[in-house]
Parts: sequence; structure tokens; C-alpha cells
Amino acid sequence: MNGVPEFPLALPLILLALILPFIPRLARGVLTVLVPLILLGVLLQIEPGTRITTSLAGFDLIIFQVGKVNFVFGVIFLLISSIASLYAFHIRDVSQQCAAVLYAAAAIGLTFSGDFLTLLIFWEVMALASAWLVLARRRPASNEAGFRYIMVHFFGGSVLFGGIMILYAQTGSLELTALSPDHGLAAWLILVGVAVNVALPPLHAWLPDAYPQATVTGAIFMSALTTKSAVYVLMTLFPGWPILIYGGVFMALYGVVYAVLANDIRQILAYHIISQVGYMVTGVGIGTALSLNGTAAHAYSHILYKALLFMGAGAVIQATGKSKLTELGGLAPKMRVVLVLFMIGAFSISGFPLFNGFISKSIIVSSAGKAHIEWAYLLLMLASVGTFLHTGLKIPVFTFWGEQRDLKVRKLPWNMYAAMGVVAFLCFFYGVVPGALYKMLPFEMKYQPYTAYHLIESVQLLIFTFIGFWVLRGKLAGEPYIALDTDWIYRRGSSLALRFLVEPINAGFAFGARCRSAIVSACSRSFHNPLEWFRLRSGSGPLFNPDLERPSLGALIGTVVAMVVVLGIVALAF
Amino acid sequence: MKKIYWILFGLITLGTLILQYFGPEHPYPHAWDHIPLFYAAYGFIGCILIIIVSKALGKRLLQKPEDYYERRS
Repeated sequence: MNGVPEFPLALPLILLALILPFIPRLARGVLTVLVPLILLGVLLQIEPGTRITTSLAGFDLIIFQVGKVNFVFGVIFLLISSIASLYAFHIRDVSQQCAAVLYAAAAIGLTFSGDFLTLLIFWEVMALASAWLVLARRRPASNEAGFRYIMVHFFGGSVLFGGIMILYAQTGSLELTALSPDHGLAAWLILVGVAVNVALPPLHAWLPDAYPQATVTGAIFMSALTTKSAVYVLMTLFPGWPILIYGGVFMALYGVVYAVLANDIRQILAYHIISQVGYMVTGVGIGTALSLNGTAAHAYSHILYKALLFMGAGAVIQATGKSKLTELGGLAPKMRVVLVLFMIGAFSISGFPLFNGFISKSIIVSSAGKAHIEWAYLLLMLASVGTFLHTGLKIPVFTFWGEQRDLKVRKLPWNMYAAMGVVAFLCFFYGVVPGALYKMLPFEMKYQPYTAYHLIESVQLLIFTFIGFWVLRGKLAGEPYIALDTDWIYRRGSSLALRFLVEPINAGFAFGARCRSAIVSACSRSFHNPLEWFRLRSGSGPLFNPDLERPSLGALIGTVVAMVVVLGIVALAF
Repeated sequence: MKKIYWILFGLITLGTLILQYFGPEHPYPHAWDHIPLFYAAYGFIGCILIIIVSKALGKRLLQKPEDYYERRS
């Protein structure tokens, strides 16, 4: 047994989300920080291979299973949930705290689920809980983005569900195992469902749409959990699918191109999530022990530095109320600490030696080189150039230096600095002591990040990217425009759908309703006095008047007697 | 930017160039490993290309006014 829990790790978090509304604010803050940390301690004690099974409605479910792959994802999800809760320590909105804890619970639950049904349930809970972190900002724009977010994720969830049902019909098993293209439609539907959460273009538009609209503290959870839990699922189900190499490299460059055009600082960071997740997807596609380790390691590093970058951007938004490069500038003297911490995140994501991006991104890039997929190697390098260009140069230069705009800067709560400090330390720590991360990785590998040729590559690339930026820096300032992305299809497409699908049907119904009332009024006109048909009307008005037009009692009796006689004759005759 | 930074960049680049020729061999070498300052050129040209291509795409196709989605077509 040895510290092995008899419960799934998601359970305490779900219970915490349920009791949060009933406890005082300070206790809420403390519990949201401590509970994930305690669970992390529990997880570190669990032997790989532990599983908890149950059965529900005739299905055998593995509701909790610890393997070598999900272990490392579980560690970082719990760690970042605790730190993000520290960053959110000051907030008073209980609904956001509940949603964040439930979101973390769902991410943990799906990471440790051993079967498709458990996975699917947590998948949907995650979509709902995270959507609240967008809606909770309570602005018209965030409401709209939040509802689009829900719709897209429910679409993805439905496709995933469809795939799972077909797979179950084929194999009769719900256990999570690697799929191959031989599984046919089922595997492809599951891939599409997962691709929505991985933000693989063209299914990615929810991410840069919703993340910039999320609450300052909620965005930290979102940047860490949704895409990376999907990367874990991709790694479990689709290792070595060559299409993912193409998809991943495309993602890495797609994010870079859009980050040039974006103006909102959190949207630039959001496009760089797509770019960075592209590296991880490429690693899954290459499918060697080295590349899969690279995916896991890069997910781990990425969660840390991206959380730090979102925290820095959040601090700027919280302090100034502005989020666009065209409205920001000259903050360096007023927000020195935030600037230093943000730059640590920027150095990490750009792959500076001594920071954690250097020791994880390089595993994936090297694995592409080692597998002699040279084009992927070079294009991922190009994406690295773009990463440094935007996150390391464009955002800080135009936010902290650039045009002076006399922005009022509000004081930030201590806990935001504390959380950023912890993550910044971790970014640096893993950069200097890569072994601390490598020993958690699922597969055996011999890899040394600090080699002469790796340093040559990185240093030359970074210095000359900077020079390129310096030459063209005038072109990179934010512009007050938005860049159209694939969400155009459903945002503009909705008015086309309205015109071609909804309006004709509405017109059909309206025509039906007009016909119906025409028939009814024709009938009521014709039937208001049937006597009129025989020109027997003796009343004065158009309507039947019982006092004047009712036949006499004698006529009624006469008719009855006549009918009896007629019926009698008919009966006798036959 | 101060001159000292540019000098520093030059010195570091020179250092990497020396390392490229006198440092250890790459275990699985690529065709371009022996081109001097390959990654420097790649970084510089890549950076310029990313900016120019993205901006051109934006101007020609993708960039719209901020109220694009609020306006009814």
C-alpha cells in the first residue's frame, strides 16, 4: 500500500469545489493553494501501475490509473493549480474559485483516467468549468467569446464521443490504448475531438478568441490545463502518427504568423501557446522514445513559463486596465518587478540557455534531427525565431518601453508577485538542473542539453533574431486591427447560416401560419349560419339567431316520427 | 542601443564561430553544419521573413477593423 490512496486524486478537488461557497474567504484562498500541493505529495508516493477500477451500468471502468506518462503530467497540473491559486489568492468571486478548482479536478481526472468513458466525462466537465473562467469576467465581449468557447468544445466533445462509441462497437473495450489508422473512422473521429482541445488549426480558433477575454487569474489555469491535458491524450492514443508531424510543424508556424498581427498582449501569448503545442504535437508524431520524452518535458516546461507570461500580462492588465499594445507603453519604470519576472518567462520560452525552454524544446528539435526529418528540424528552428521575436521582444518592448502614455498603475496584491516569483524560480531551476525534470520522464533516454553545438545554434539564432527585430522594429508595433482567423467561419458564417438555413424555414412556417388563418377565417365566414346556404335565413343579422331561426317543437317531433316510420319500413322490407 | 551591446554581440558570435570549428563534432551531423554562421544567418533571415510575410498576409487578407464582427454585413 505505502501511501497509495484508495480514491482518485480528482475526488478531493471535486469535494473542495463543492464546499468552497460555504467557507470564509481567507480559508478559501488557503485551501485552493494547499489541497493541490498535498495531492502532489500523495502522487509522488504512488507506485506506477496503481489502478482503481469500478463498474457503472455494465461498463468496466478504470477511474484512476498511474502510469509513467500521466505521472509527469499529473505532477505539473497539480503544481500549477496550486501556484495559479496563489496568484488568484486575493479574488473575492467564489464562482471563479469553484470553477478553477473543478477545472483542475477535471484535468487531473482525465489525465489519470484509464478508460474512454471516464475520460469523456472529465473532458466535458473541463470544458464547462473552464468556460466559466471566461464568462466570469462579465463583459459583453467575454460573454460572447465564452459561449463560442462552450459551443466549440461541445462540438469537439461530441465528435470524441462519436469516435468512442464506434470504437466500443468495434472492439468491445473502453480501455485507453494507443490507436492505429487501422481503427478507421473511430480513430479519426477521436483524433478530431482531441485536436479541438490541442488547438490544431483549423480547429484552434477558440483559443486566441477566448483566452484574451478570460479573467486575469482564470487565464493562468486555462493556459496550463486544456491544451496540455489534450497533448497527454494525444501522446497516449496517437504516438507515431506521421500526420501529427505535419500538423505540429504547421501549428508551430501558424501561431508565429498570427502573433505578428495580434495586438492584445494575451492574444499574442495565446497564439504562442498554439505554436509551442505544435512542438509537442510534432514530438508525438515522430513517436520515438526521445521525441515522446521531449513532448512530456516540453509540456512541463511550457506550463511553467506560459503561466509566468500570462501572470505578467495579467499583472499589466490588472494594474493599468489595458491589454492592447496600442494602448500600452512606457511601463518599465513603474513595474520593474513585473518586467523582470516577465522577462524570465520570455527567456524561457525563447530557449535561452539556463532557462527551462532550452532544456525541453531542444529534445523535440533534436529528435527531429536524429530521425533525419530535416525539414521539420529547420522549420521548428524558424518557429523558435518567431517565439523570441514576439514573446521576448515585441510584447516587452512595446509594453514596458515604447511610447509613453501616462498610464495610471494600480498597486498589485502581494500574492501575484509571490506566485510569479515561484514560477520564475522554477523556470530557472529546471534550466540549471535539467536532471530534476528528466528523471520524471516516461522513457529511457541519453540526452544532454548543454552541448557545444546546441549552444552554438541557440546563441547565434537568438542574437541574430534580435538584430533582425532591431532592423524592422518600426514594423512590429501593435496596430489597432484584428486578424481574421478560422472563427470567421462560425462568427460571420452564423449570419450566412441565418440567411440560408434559418430564414427560409422561418418563412416557410410563416407561410403555413398565414394559410392556416386564411382557411380558418374562410370556414368561420361560411359556417356562421348554415341556414343561409338554403336561403332560409329569417333573422336580421348575418349570424344565426336562435330566437328567430330555431325550428318549432312541432317540426322536431314530426321529423322524429317520420324517421321512425321510414326506419320501420326499411327494417320490414329487409 | 548602446555601442557596448553591439560589441558584446559581435564577441559572442565570434566565440560561437570558433566553437563551431574547434568544438566537438555533432553526433548526427546535418548538411549545413559546416557553413559558418549558418544559424546566425538563419535567425536573421528567418526573423525578417516572418515579419514581412506575416505583415503582407495581414495587409492583403487578414487584418480588419476592430469592430468587424460587431458590424452587420
